[in-house]
Formats: sequence, structure tokens, C-alpha cells
Amino acid sequence: MPDGEVERLYRAFVEADPATAIRVVEQVRSSGVAQAELFDALYVPALAMLGDAWARRAIDELAFTQAAVVAEQVSSFVMPPLVRPDTGVGVVLGVMHRDHHSVMKNVVAGALKEAGYRVFDLGVDVRASDFLERVEETGARVVVAFAEMLATARAVAGVRDLLDAEGRADVVLLVCGGPFAADASLARSVGANGVVSSAQGALDVLDRVRRDLLQREAS
Amino acid sequence: MSRSQQAMIAEGLARQGRAAEAVAACYEALAIDDRDPATHALLAELMLGEDFYDEAIAAATQAIELDPDCSPAYLALGLAYDRRGGMWDQSVLVWHELAEVVPDLVIAHVQLGEAFAAAAFDEEARDSWKRALELDPRQARAHYNLAIDALKREGMSTALPLIRTAGALDPSQDALFFALVGLPEREPQGDVGPDAPREVRYAEAAAMARAEDFFGAVDAVRSLLDDDPDDARALALAGFCYLKQEATNEAMACAVRALGLAPDLVEAMYVLGTTYAQRPGLAKHAARVFLALAKARPLEPLAHVLLAEALLGLQRYRQAHKAYAAAVALDPACVRARFGLAAVLFSEGSYAEAQWHIRRAAYYDTKRLGVFWDLFDRYVEGGGE
Repeated sequence: MPDGEVERLYRAFVEADPATAIRVVEQVRSSGVAQAELFDALYVPALAMLGDAWARRAIDELAFTQAAVVAEQVSSFVMPPLVRPDTGVGVVLGVMHRDHHSVMKNVVAGALKEAGYRVFDLGVDVRASDFLERVEETGARVVVAFAEMLATARAVAGVRDLLDAEGRADVVLLVCGGPFAADASLARSVGANGVVSSAQGALDVLDRVRRDLLQREAS
Repeated sequence: MSRSQQAMIAEGLARQGRAAEAVAACYEALAIDDRDPATHALLAELMLGEDFYDEAIAAATQAIELDPDCSPAYLALGLAYDRRGGMWDQSVLVWHELAEVVPDLVIAHVQLGEAFAAAAFDEEARDSWKRALELDPRQARAHYNLAIDALKREGMSTALPLIRTAGALDPSQDALFFALVGLPEREPQGDVGPDAPREVRYAEAAAMARAEDFFGAVDAVRSLLDDDPDDARALALAGFCYLKQEATNEAMACAVRALGLAPDLVEAMYVLGTTYAQRPGLAKHAARVFLALAKARPLEPLAHVLLAEALLGLQRYRQAHKAYAAAVALDPACVRARFGLAAVLFSEGSYAEAQWHIRRAAYYDTKRLGVFWDLFDRYVEGGGE
């Protein structure tokens, strides 16, 4: 980072000059400092100078407050990126037909969206054909089928059969729900590629799937 | 209401926490007058405290049969049903009844919502918590419950800000700061002059901050900094006062300067971590600071809670689980830790365990608020009206 930029930002704060403050940020960014680093490398040290100036009475209470307002205006320019980068992996998920247990599906869908997956949430009471239809529409590479009852868990086999029959055996089929947790062999018997047992588990499994897909594409 | 001397003795013993003696006194009082609803209600509360749920239910039911307006009995009965588990239909009726008998009792609406949620009446649960917030917008537990509800419908990213909102209303967060400051709780003295020793002036500034006189506290800190602008503790205290006035950048400025002077200053870590936690993009920063705080103060449950919340923001649910569990182990009555742990357990599909933690949190919170004694006093003073 170029010398003196922290002090320039601090001065812009104290002089209540947001335009200059933003210019300093832009210049530092264009000098090669990554967005993720701006907050620590530039903003925090400038705030430390501000705190020091207030403690030493180099600035009065009013100037301190005004400087904080300018700092607030600039903050959005220095924040690390909020949204995680798009993984490019589409995930179709839903709760099986005749099953309305939505909590785990909602929690997992939220976690995957936040982690940058392209989530297509079909909701509850989803027929096997709806999973296939949405996979074809979106080009999703992963399906997560949720089932909390034994009968609906067994019905996941229908999703696998349809995917295979339509030439989409490459789609990764994951399952989630109490019956799969209780009986480790059930997932295999319905043709699933893996079991998701929690939001953390979903992130871990999807991360492996994403890396496998990338590797497959590269080779 | 005319009550026997034995009933008064039982009440006195119960207030002193001498449960076994109070129970014996209750039975003696009931032998004299078995139609005193207040004594039956007190017996129910005592039984509940000792985890004798069936006995608590029997005593509370007896009190309500004798007087259908006996509000403390409804409270004991509802809590007994909730803690016994599997009695959600009865629990809903009892909390509904209590909310009717004492309509301004915020906690009745919160409990009613929790009973509805346990019985899977989610919409009714939401309505109850919203009613509680209409009565008291600062009711932290209603916010925690709404956060859990949001988690179940939309996932953690929606729930986490609500958990933090609830946390900010929770008195335990300020208590952590003052525990880190390490000064005993006291009222401001008001007559501490600029010539007093620094420690005395600092203690006075902290007392003012604790009493929520933030302008006075910042003035006192200002005078400390005039003598020594490199006083990191004074800067951290100023940061706390700014934080409480929602002046986040001023707080951050003071905290980073304080940590520049004293990198191990725990109260400055708290202020900085809290300012970071308020900004969605700084979850990693918050986690870093709160990890340092939890390491520096491993016996402070809330330090682990703050770390856990930051970890949730980073989607590190497994680590968050560990941090919340550490907080609950240190303080089983920590409502914020229990609700946070419940949120993580929901994300793991462990619904029964999550509900158990919510029930425990509810019990401790209602107990902490002293609702039973409040209702009891109102009931006895009102002559059972």
C-alpha cells in the first residue's frame, strides 16, 4: 500500500470530507490492495488514529462525531465482500411427496445459498418427476431429497430411477432425514450418492461434490 | 387474605431458599387450612424447584380449583407441564389462562408461544411472541424464539441477526463487559473530584456507565484521558459508552486505539468484537477477536457465546456447537447460550434436544425474572382477587 494513505484517510475523516475519503480508498484499491484487505490495512488504522486524536484532544467531541459519520459513509467501500462467490453448482432440493417436514430442508437450503450454491428449492410434497423436471430446466448437478418418514424415504428410489431413465445418472443424489440417519444402508438402497445429516454436513458434502465436479470437468 | 402464621412461615422459608423446610411448613399450614390457594401455589413452586413435577402439578391444580384466579398457581402449573414434557395441550391451556388472568404479564405470552411451538402451532406461537413484544419490545426471550422460528423457516442467515438483536437486549451482555472490567458493582458516588486518585475516578466512570449515565461516564473518562491520553482502560470504557449509544465507529476508534496500546486488554476486545459483530461483512473479524477473548477469559460463558455467534456467521456450525456447549457447561442458566445451542441443534436435525434446551432456557429465564414471587405478592396483597 502506498505510504501515507492511512493518514490521508484519517485527515479526510477529520475534515469531514467523504469525497476525499472515498478517493483515498479507490486509490489504495487501484494500487493492488484486495477488497478483502482494505478494511484491515486502511480503515482500521485510520480509525485508530481517530481514537488517538480524540484521546489527546487533537479533535473535539463534535469533530469526533463528524469524523465517525464520514467513516460510516466510507465503510461500505472497505468492507470485505459480503456474499460468498458463486460456486457455479446448482442444487435442486425438496421434501418428498406426502412429506411436509420442512425444517431441515429450509435450514440446509439457507446454508447452501449463503455458501454460494445456486439453490432451487421445490418446497415440500415434491414428486420424483418434479425433481427431474427442475434438474433439466436448470442444469443442476446435485439433488438433495429430504424425507422424515420411512415410506417417503424409500420413495427416493423413484428419483434415482427417473434420473437414470432420463440419462441423468451423472446427477449427484443426496438424501437427508431421520430414516437415513437411523439406517445407514437405506441411502444406498435408494440409490443415493451420499447422506446429509446437518447444515454443516451439507456444506462439507457439497464442497467435496463441487471439487469432484471441477476435477471431472478438468480431466 | 387471612393466612395462617404457618403459611407465612412457609413463605418466609421459601424466600430464603430453604426449600425442604418450606415444604414441611407448607404441609403444616395445609393441615391447619387446606383451602388456602396461596399455600398450594407455593407448594407447587417448591416442588417444581426440586424437579417433582407430578407433585407440583397436583398442588397447582388444587390451588386453581380453590381459586380459578390464582395466578401464581397457573405459572407453576404451566412450568411443571413444560418441564415434564409431552403435555403441550395442557400447557397451552394453562398459559392461555394465565394470559387471561394477568393480561399484562409479558412472560405468559412468551410461554404461551413456546407451548404453541412445541405443539407445532407455529403461526399461533408467532402471534403470542409478537403480542409479548407489543407489551414489551425489549423482551429478549420473545426475540430469541422468533429467531428460532425464522431459522426453521428460512435458515441461519435470517435467524442470526435476530439472535444478535435478542442478545443486545439481554442484560448478560453488559454484565460481561463489567465482569471484564473487574470492578465490584456499585452505584455512582457523585462526589468524585478531579483530584481523586485515578483508580477512584475510573471506578466512578465505570459505575456511571453501569448506571447507564453514558454522558457522565464519557465526561469522567475524558478527564482521565486529559491526564493520560494513552490510558487504554479509559479508552475501552469510552468505547463501551459509545457502543451503548449506537455510535459504532466512535466505539471502534476507541477500541482499536486501546488495543494498540494494550493488545491483551479484554474489555477493549469485547468492545471491538461487538462492533465487528454488528456488521454482517465482519464475521471473520468478530470471530478472531472473540476467540482471543474466550481464550483470555475461558470461564466467562458469554465470551464463548459471542464466539459461537460469530462462528455461526461464518457457517462454522460444528465449532459454534462446541462454543455454545462450553458456555452452557459454565452457566446452565445462560438463556442466550441455550437458545443459540438450540439453533445449532436444529441445524443438525436434533429437534428434541433443541426443544429441551429451549425449555431449560425458559425455566431459568422465568425464574431469573422472579415472576412467581411477583405474582404471588400481587395475589396475596390483592386478597386473592
